[in-house]
Amino acid sequence: MTVIAVAGKGGTGKTLVSALLVNFISEKSSSVLAVDADPDSNLPEALGVEVKKTLGEIREIFQVSRDEMGSMNKEQWLEGKIYAEAVCECPRYDLLVMGRPEGEGCYCFANSLLRGVLRRLMRHYDYIIIDTEAGLEHFSRKTIDSADYIIIVTDMSRKGLATAKRIKELAEELRLNFKKIFLIANRITSEDAEMAIRKFAEEEGLELLAVLPYDSSVAEVDLRGDPVSEIDKNSEVYRKMKEVANLILNLTVEAR
Amino acid sequence: MVERKRIEIPEGVKVKESVGEEAGFPFDISPMYEGERIRKGDMYVELGGPTAPGFELVMALPMDQVEDMKVTLIGPDLEEMNEGEAYPYAMIYYIAGSQVETDLEPVIERRNHDFQNYIEGYMHLNQRYDIWIRIGKNAVKKGLNSLIQIAKATMMLYKNELPFIEKIEAVYITDKDFVEKFLNEVAMPIYEERDRRVEMLHDEDVGEFYSCTLCQSFAPTNVCIVSPDRPSLCGAITWFDGRAAAKVDPEGPNRAVPKGDLIDPIGGEYSGVNEFAKRESGGEYERIKLHSFFEYPHTSCGCFEVIGFYMPEVDGIGWVHRGYAEPAPNGLTFSTMAGQTGGGKQVAGFLGVGIAYFRSKKFIQADGGWYRTVWMPKELKERVAKYIPDDVRDKIATEEDARTLDELKEFLKKVDHPVVKGVVRPVDGKKITNGWVEEVAEEVAEEVAAEAAPAQPVAQQAVMQPVMQPMMMPGFQFPALQMPAPSAAPAGIKLIIKDAKITIDKVIIRKAEKEKKGGS
Repeated sequence: MTVIAVAGKGGTGKTLVSALLVNFISEKSSSVLAVDADPDSNLPEALGVEVKKTLGEIREIFQVSRDEMGSMNKEQWLEGKIYAEAVCECPRYDLLVMGRPEGEGCYCFANSLLRGVLRRLMRHYDYIIIDTEAGLEHFSRKTIDSADYIIIVTDMSRKGLATAKRIKELAEELRLNFKKIFLIANRITSEDAEMAIRKFAEEEGLELLAVLPYDSSVAEVDLRGDPVSEIDKNSEVYRKMKEVANLILNLTVEAR
Repeated sequence: MVERKRIEIPEGVKVKESVGEEAGFPFDISPMYEGERIRKGDMYVELGGPTAPGFELVMALPMDQVEDMKVTLIGPDLEEMNEGEAYPYAMIYYIAGSQVETDLEPVIERRNHDFQNYIEGYMHLNQRYDIWIRIGKNAVKKGLNSLIQIAKATMMLYKNELPFIEKIEAVYITDKDFVEKFLNEVAMPIYEERDRRVEMLHDEDVGEFYSCTLCQSFAPTNVCIVSPDRPSLCGAITWFDGRAAAKVDPEGPNRAVPKGDLIDPIGGEYSGVNEFAKRESGGEYERIKLHSFFEYPHTSCGCFEVIGFYMPEVDGIGWVHRGYAEPAPNGLTFSTMAGQTGGGKQVAGFLGVGIAYFRSKKFIQADGGWYRTVWMPKELKERVAKYIPDDVRDKIATEEDARTLDELKEFLKKVDHPVVKGVVRPVDGKKITNGWVEEVAEEVAEEVAAEAAPAQPVAQQAVMQPVMQPMMMPGFQFPALQMPAPSAAPAGIKLIIKDAKITIDKVIIRKAEKEKKGGS
């Protein structure tokens, strides 16, 4: 099991990066789980698939129906619901959407059961690609245990870089036991900007994986919420992300 | 009780039988396969699930009625099935052993899920009549060709892992009519009986309770004790859940708590619970009564769904749930009261509970239960209405009847609520409150600023103490109040104040009107 977490400030293109990685890695491996762990983004849309229910929705159903479960086993109930309704079987990979955060009331028990179910589910995939928000909430709550590779996506904004820095610190604090932490710079329009990003990466100890240019056709796909499969195969963004995916695949093969 | 007997297979029905242990299996068996998900594209067949009926059932039978390691299959076997299709599926196990009892059936039945998921290329989901199995193409490629192999592997695991099972026999069915027939005629009545038993199972029927320390990160001294008559405060964990979790991880957040000796049958005090509470709270609490509101109540974590609050003005208890944002008649909202009570404290006068506790036959029985309850939001009352005794249901006010203490007083008087004349607790018929004192007397009493008298009314005021907390210094530790029940002999009041810094502008102490109260 190799867990790849893609994080970054909202709007930097991390969902695009996640979706492309899912696309490329699932061409080489038949055991891929994509996880949308950012309530503000929309990985299913970027992948061009629809999900029945989010994990959050199932947890809500659990909260209201638990009193009527008699002597039924609640963990088995949750597991059944998650496997049947939250894990979406897409043609080449499975997809799990975490959904919105908790409502009011106590979720200690529901989350404790969820952690167990997810742990047992996830260990059977060769690759898990997680689109996560900058706060790494699911990692800090231990709904997701660890990450082998963290890819931080940033644009050239000051805020994007500041967030990148914070994610790195947070990832270290949370002891995710990652093997490597990478940076991908997106929508870079000038050489000056590229220089600045390179310097930033060096200073922060982040390995710069790719510098993606601004590409209006990609931006349009992103903006319309169209699947990334519609991106021009000859575009620099597409080619460079394919290289990134291959690099990660090679890394994990070496690690095994 | 529903009679347990072997299912009757009509004569002439074609069955496949096999007796004895298998020498080997064409699949791996290991806990590492647990959680393995078989995708639709990788599946050979689906059994039960969303499109076909199915069920699993364990029945305890006498020794002479179980033929050890025998499998009977009714209906098509794997090799006769079409790839990609869904088939009905029933798994019935007969078990016997000197320690095998009917009560153990559900516990043993649940293990079918665990054991079958140890089988490589076999996915088992859900329980009872919801079971959903997928068998992978790879498993078939490796040589799995009969459900008899699955049944034999499962039975082997049962006998290895649960050695008290001396004999086990399986009947697997893939014929739709038979699956449906036995589901309706045999399995459903047993499932229904089990659920009825949940409501009939009481603290005295079991040997151990279960703890829950999931909340200790927020409430370090909280000790949740989950018993058949008392689900967890968060409402999520029943005694059955505790038992299931403790079986899986005995050192985890849900551990078995041996009951020990019964100290107070009415309050629900057990020596085992006290010892556990003392240890787990770091010595903070030495006694916990499971069904008491005033005396050594259960600690309140912060997760509770409902908070109970004592209103000395009416000598009754109100309950408000998390979803009700308005102030209760005592002028406080759920969140204000929760803030003062939560964090794992034992606070006499406030008690956090789960909504499911309202279903309990022992619901705060030491303090009168429903007969001491005077107010709850309409939404909450409607949710639990069928558990409220008929003779008091209409006497419990909601926000539609009363929003202030004065309105509540009027309402209670009008409907003649038990608190007005004195509450007789149903559990032993003892009269536990004296009812209201004459209103005139009370008003007079309020004018009198007299010397301290450690008797009833003062004690009741002290119960209200937490209300003052927000006005106090930051860092103020709420004193651990230990109150005798108001009906107890006038033994006075014991106040333990730890690390306290209290600033008081004015103190009004009123004289106890003992004679009047007792005499009215």
